Amino acid sequence: MTIVIFGGNGDLAHRKLLPALYNLHVDALLPPRTAIVGVGRKEMTDEAYREFAKDGVTKFSRRPIDEAAWAAFAAAIFFVNASIDGEQGLAPLGARLDIIEHEGQRSGDRVYYLAVPPTLFAPTVQQLARARFVTKEDQPIARIIVEKPIGRDLESARAINDAIAAVFDERQIYRIDHYLGKETVQNILVLRFANSIFEPLFNQKYVDHVQITVAEAEGVGTRAGYYEQAGALRDMVQNHMLQLLSLVAMEPPHALAADVIRDEKLEILQSLRPLAGAAVDANVVRAQYAAGFDVGKPAPGYREEPGVDPQSRIETFVALQIFIDNWRWAGVPFFLRTGKRLPKRAIEISVHLKEVPPILFNADPSARLDQNILTIRIQPDEGMSLGISSKIPGPQVRIYPVKLDFHYGSTFGGSTPEAYERLLLDVMHGDPTLFMRRDAVEAAWRWVMPILERWTAQTDPLPTYPAGNWGPAEADRLLESTGRRWRPL
Amino acid sequence: MAAVVATRLFRASTPEAIEPDLAALWREIAETDAPIARAVMSNLVVFRSRAAAPQPSTAALAIDPPLEDVLALHPSRLIVLEHEQVERTADAPFTAGVGIAVFGPEHARYGVEQIVARSACAEAALPSIVRRFIRGDLPTTVWWTEDLSQVAPLGALVTMGRQLLYDSRQWSDVAGGVRAVGPLVGDRYADLADLNWRRLSPVRRALAHASQAGGLAVLSRDTTVQIAHRPGESALAWLLAGTLMAGQQGPAVPPPRVDDPAPGDAVLRMTIRRGSSEMTVTLTDQSVVVVEGSGTPLVVAVPVEHEADAVAAELRTLSQDADLGAAIGALDRHLNTK
Repeated sequence: MTIVIFGGNGDLAHRKLLPALYNLHVDALLPPRTAIVGVGRKEMTDEAYREFAKDGVTKFSRRPIDEAAWAAFAAAIFFVNASIDGEQGLAPLGARLDIIEHEGQRSGDRVYYLAVPPTLFAPTVQQLARARFVTKEDQPIARIIVEKPIGRDLESARAINDAIAAVFDERQIYRIDHYLGKETVQNILVLRFANSIFEPLFNQKYVDHVQITVAEAEGVGTRAGYYEQAGALRDMVQNHMLQLLSLVAMEPPHALAADVIRDEKLEILQSLRPLAGAAVDANVVRAQYAAGFDVGKPAPGYREEPGVDPQSRIETFVALQIFIDNWRWAGVPFFLRTGKRLPKRAIEISVHLKEVPPILFNADPSARLDQNILTIRIQPDEGMSLGISSKIPGPQVRIYPVKLDFHYGSTFGGSTPEAYERLLLDVMHGDPTLFMRRDAVEAAWRWVMPILERWTAQTDPLPTYPAGNWGPAEADRLLESTGRRWRPL
Repeated sequence: MAAVVATRLFRASTPEAIEPDLAALWREIAETDAPIARAVMSNLVVFRSRAAAPQPSTAALAIDPPLEDVLALHPSRLIVLEHEQVERTADAPFTAGVGIAVFGPEHARYGVEQIVARSACAEAALPSIVRRFIRGDLPTTVWWTEDLSQVAPLGALVTMGRQLLYDSRQWSDVAGGVRAVGPLVGDRYADLADLNWRRLSPVRRALAHASQAGGLAVLSRDTTVQIAHRPGESALAWLLAGTLMAGQQGPAVPPPRVDDPAPGDAVLRMTIRRGSSEMTVTLTDQSVVVVEGSGTPLVVAVPVEHEADAVAAELRTLSQDADLGAAIGALDRHLNTK
C-alpha cells in the first residue's frame, strides 16, 4: 500500500501524520511494503523529507525514536515535488509512484490524504481523476482522506462533497474528525453498550442534563487567517461537538457495522430541535476573548492578536442549549460550550443524573446532595469517573461527594495510541466507522446554518470574556436561568 | 500529631510543566514503592502572601497546622498559592514546584499531589493560576491563611471555591474581618468555614442545654451580657456576641459588652445578668462551665481536637453553616453600620 500525503511537508504531516505512521510501523501494524509519499510544491529530496519526518517523530511521537525501527521506516518514505496546477501537474507524481510501487513490489493500493486547505480539495481530486489515479474497482484500492473543515456552510460543504463524489464513491471517502479516533471517544459506545449499569440510565427519566465542554487554553495563535473565516461554531461545534453529542445520545445500533452506527448518529443530528430566529438568541451565547491572564501572565484579547481584524466579530466562544426531540431525550437539555483562552485545555462530557428527592439524606436545603455525575474525560488524563455520595466515617451521618475514578493511563499503563494512528489504520483496513459520512456532515451544517444566519444579521456588540476565564457571564446565565450551573473543570 | 509521610517527592517545575511533572512523579513513585492509590477528595487551595523568596520547596507546606497533617486526614490536591508582595510587573516571574506525599500503612498506601506556585503577578491574575490547576470535578476549598482583616480575600478567587476556610483567631481587627467575609454570607454557593467558630460549639451546646432548664440562659431583651476574653481571643468573643445578637440562643439581645481580660485560665467568660440574678459561662481549654446562682454547675467537655483534625473536619463539611452566617450578619450590622 502507498500512502500519498498531499501537503506532505505541512504542519499536519509533521506533527501528526508522520509520527502516527511511525508508531504504526513500530507496532507492526502497517501493511507489508507500505510506502509513504509526501507531495508538495516545495522542492525537496527524499533524504530531506526523511529528515523532516524524523524531526516530526522526534518532537511529536508518543514514544521516543528507536534508531533501528526508524531506519526501516525511513527507507519507505519518499517525497515528490508536484503541483495540482495545469493539465500535467500530477504527472511527476504518477511516474514516481509507478517506480516506487514497481521497485517495492507494492500492490498499487493507495490512500490519498488531503492535508491541504479545503479550497484545494476539489482541484486536487479533479487532478487525481485527470491523472487516472482513481479507480472505483476494489483492486487496486483507492481511498481518499479529507480533513475538516468540510466547507464553511452548507452550500460549500455540498460543493466539496459533490466534487469528491464525482471521482470517488462514498465508500472510498474518509472524512476525518480526529476526535473520533481518541480512545475515550471510542469508549463511549463501550461504556454505554458493554455495561448493564449505564444504558438503562441514559434517558429523560434519569438524566437531568448533559454538558459537553471542549476548552482550549491557547489563543488563536498563528491560525488567525483560518479562524477569522471560521469562528468557534464552525471550528468546533459543527463537527467535533455534534459528533460527541451524537455518540452520547444515539440509540443502540443493531450491529457494529460502520453504516449501522453512522445511521444511528445521523438520527440524532436529524432529531436536533432547530434553532432559528429569536430561539438562537435565547439558546446560544457567543463571545470573544478580551485581554486577561494565562496562568498569571497577561494575555492579549482576540482583536489584538496578529492577523486578526481589530473590528472582528468572529466568536471565540460558543455556549448552546440543545434539545433532542426524540423519545429518549425529550426535555433533557444538552449544554455545549467551547472556546479559546479558557483556563485549561480539556474535553469532557458529563452526564448529570437527576437529584434524589428532598427527603431522608437530601432533606436539608442548606446541604443538598451533589447530583450523581458520570464524567467522560477525553483529554487530558483520559478516563471516566462517577460521582456518588458517601457517608463520612464517624458517629454522625454526614455525607460527602466522592468519586469512582478510572484513569486510562494508570489502569492500562503505557502510552495510549494517538487518534491519528487508529484512524489511519482504519482507512488502510477499509473501516469507515469512525469517519463522517456525507449525510451526517450536511445534516450538521443544516442545523448550524440558521444560527450563522441569525448572527450575520446582527450588529450589536459581541459579549466578551477575559482570557483565562470560563467564558462570558451570558453563558453562566444560560444555565442559571434553568437552575443549573456549568460544571467546573 | 504529625502525619507519617512514607515517601515524599518534590521538585521544581514550571507552570507549563506542572501536570506532566506530576504524572512523571506518579510513574517514578510507582517504581519505587508498594502500590499507591491516588487519593483526592477535594482541591485545597491555600493562599499565602509572602515576601519574595527563592524557588518553591516543601518549606511552603510548613504552616501551622502542617499541611501534610491535613492531607493525611483529608487527601486533597493541594495547591499552595504564594503571592509575592513585590512591585508588580506585567511579566512577573512565576515559579513552581510539584510533589507527591505518600501516607498510610504499607498495605494501604495513598498519595496526594502537591503544587506550590509562587508569583508576583497582579491580584487579578491569581484566579487564572488556580483555574488551571484545580480538578474541577472535585469540591474546592480556598484556605485563606492570612489575616482576613488585613489581606481581604480576592472575590474572584474565593468564589471559585465551594468553601472559604479561614481562622478568625488571626483577625487583628474584628470589624475588618467581619467586613471581609460579610458579603459572602448568603451566597448560595459559598460555604464559610471558620476554624475559630468551631471552638464555640461547646459553648453553644452548653447554652442550649442550660436554656432547657429556664433561668437566665433563656435570654431576653432586659438581659445584659458581658463577655471577657483572653488576650488574642477577641474574635471568638465577638462571634459569641454575634450569636446572641442574631437570636440563635433565644430572642436577640442588645449588643453584649466585649472586653478583656477573662480571669484565670478562661478563654472566654460570659456573664449574663437580669436584675440581681447572674449566670456565668466560662470556656477553658478543657470545658465549658455554666454557673447560675447556687445551682449545680453544668459542665460540657471541650473535645480534644488537633488543629489538623479541625481543618480536615471542616473540609469534609460542605454544607452552609446558617448559624455562622447569622452571627456574621449580626456582627456586620453592629460593628460596621454606623
